[in-house]
Amino acid sequence: MSTKEEILSRYRRNMKVTGQYDMPDFSTLKGVEYDNPLAQFVAMSENVGSHVVDLSAGDDINSVIKSLYPEAKVFASSLPEITIADRNPDTVDRAQDLNGTDVGIVRGEIGVAENGCVWIPQTMKEKAVCFISEYLVILLSRKSIVSNMHQAYERIQFTDYGYGSFISGPSKTADIAQALVMGAQAARGVTVILTD
Amino acid sequence: MSTLHRKAAQTFLKNGENAKWHDATFWALRDKRDNMAMGLDEWERLRDTASAIKRHTVTHLDKYLEQFATNAEKNGVKVHWAKDAEEFNNIVLEILTSHNVKKLVKSKSMLTEECEMNPFLEQHGIDVVETDLGERILQLMKQKPSHIVVPAIHITQEEVGHLFERVLGSEKGNYDPTYLTYQARISLRNEFMTADAGMTGANFGVAATGDIVVCTNEGNADMSTSVPKLHIAAMGLEKVIPDYRSLAVFQRLLCRAATGQPTTAFTSHFRKARPDGEMHIILVDNGRSDIIANTEHWETLKCIRCGSCMNTCPVYRRSGGYSYTYFIPGPIGINLGMLKSPVKYSDNVSACSLCCSCDNVCPVKVNLSEQIYRWRQNLDSLGKADPMKKAMSAGMEYLFGHPGLYSTSLRFAPLANHLPRLLMYNKLNGWGIGHEMPEFPRESFQTMWKKGEVK
Repeated sequence: MSTKEEILSRYRRNMKVTGQYDMPDFSTLKGVEYDNPLAQFVAMSENVGSHVVDLSAGDDINSVIKSLYPEAKVFASSLPEITIADRNPDTVDRAQDLNGTDVGIVRGEIGVAENGCVWIPQTMKEKAVCFISEYLVILLSRKSIVSNMHQAYERIQFTDYGYGSFISGPSKTADIAQALVMGAQAARGVTVILTD
Repeated sequence: MSTLHRKAAQTFLKNGENAKWHDATFWALRDKRDNMAMGLDEWERLRDTASAIKRHTVTHLDKYLEQFATNAEKNGVKVHWAKDAEEFNNIVLEILTSHNVKKLVKSKSMLTEECEMNPFLEQHGIDVVETDLGERILQLMKQKPSHIVVPAIHITQEEVGHLFERVLGSEKGNYDPTYLTYQARISLRNEFMTADAGMTGANFGVAATGDIVVCTNEGNADMSTSVPKLHIAAMGLEKVIPDYRSLAVFQRLLCRAATGQPTTAFTSHFRKARPDGEMHIILVDNGRSDIIANTEHWETLKCIRCGSCMNTCPVYRRSGGYSYTYFIPGPIGINLGMLKSPVKYSDNVSACSLCCSCDNVCPVKVNLSEQIYRWRQNLDSLGKADPMKKAMSAGMEYLFGHPGLYSTSLRFAPLANHLPRLLMYNKLNGWGIGHEMPEFPRESFQTMWKKGEVK
């Protein structure tokens, strides 16, 4: 008998709990909804340590990013509209080649107003760009904001890479003396750029 | 009266300043949790739903585990099953050696603590690097976690500073948390770059899709799995949940309950291996399939390891994680320890005032204090009941069963108020240590009632 069968049959033998426990009725569970999800998303994003920039019509995305990070030397992105990228996570040989990136630029698909999460499915060969970069810029359409996680989980999509993350603000830790520090192991700062 | 917990708590309390800080720090986390809970109208509804999903899932675990494994395998993930810690450790080692792995970077996993995986792998020549900052500090100090979410909470910034001076060559006397975190970042970045494999735990396994979901604030699980091409995920059987509808409920509760944040910074879904890489999931039983057989304690399996029961517990806050003899402290640790080995871990059941605060904060409504009460009722059958308390209980039973004797005793009870302090406050009276005994009233309720003094 395989270990799998051993474990499952042991469980079945041991399952002595009486009473029927069915899945609950989700229709009566209403997640918080905001009158203005976009405003709430911006407030929550700032609350979790992100910087939010509203891209106006006619603004050039590349110069906006450059002006946000004037000190940055190395940009990485696989997005076609990003022309300032020095590195492309689709074409680098190894994930390690993205180390030393100052600013990584990726696209988010859904923004969640209740907690500032942005759904970022992997669309590039090396997902390391989302974490290894000192600063992360997320492009997100204003039209893709939902109020809560229930709505977000109804909508998220994966690409064939089979990975995606809800990212809410920079990497953070309070492991030393409970003092909040931004920039533990991943991006030290996040800017969400709201687009059309 | 003298359980190992009590003795260890006395040691913890010797450093009054640290003990006070510990208590206040966890109360602040509790406070932040409350703000989150109060901020959502649906909070209690979420808890009810979470509890119902977990009850359903753990009573249908075979179905969901099979579904989870089938879907993960469809995604190209290699699924392994381990009945105990030994089998788990051997599977990990086998995967690592077959890939010629020298260095493993890993994110926090209480399951690997439970299986004592790190020392096992190190004995076999694997360099294991913890990448959660708190876990890394503990690993370098050769210490164990004192809390499941904030594992290095008992270590001061000065101690971290001294450690980093020695190990990472940081500036002497610089104890600034931002500076120290940055030093660890630089050092860990180098470890990520040179690791051959990455390991994560799993907060959830989604049966409908085969995803494992890992929640971190540091992004270290993502770093651990973005650079090396081999990913091993360790997952306890009870972590499986049915679908995304369920996941939304737990995602909303987990971090709010744990640290009082609206979400962790990263909620990452791993469905497939990296391009040209491999992903393995190891499903670990190690006693979990026995818990379901325990009709009084099976609901412990609902736990999502948020740590909120520790944060709120007045005993945990004032005695610290190391006072418990099981590696998970606090109310949930008391129960998990008893399920692991009642004889070995019964010292912890006294570490509860039955205030029930844990029951009120638990996001999945595990009936923690009720379970601790049940364990205590069974102590005698384990031969672990306190002889002094047993004698007193027998005495009280006799007293309350004999009304005449009871009222006579009541009449003389106020005499205790005039006993010399030495007689009342000594080693024999455990209740007199650390606090004042209540004063007996001059007249008992019974006497007052008879005199018509009670209106």
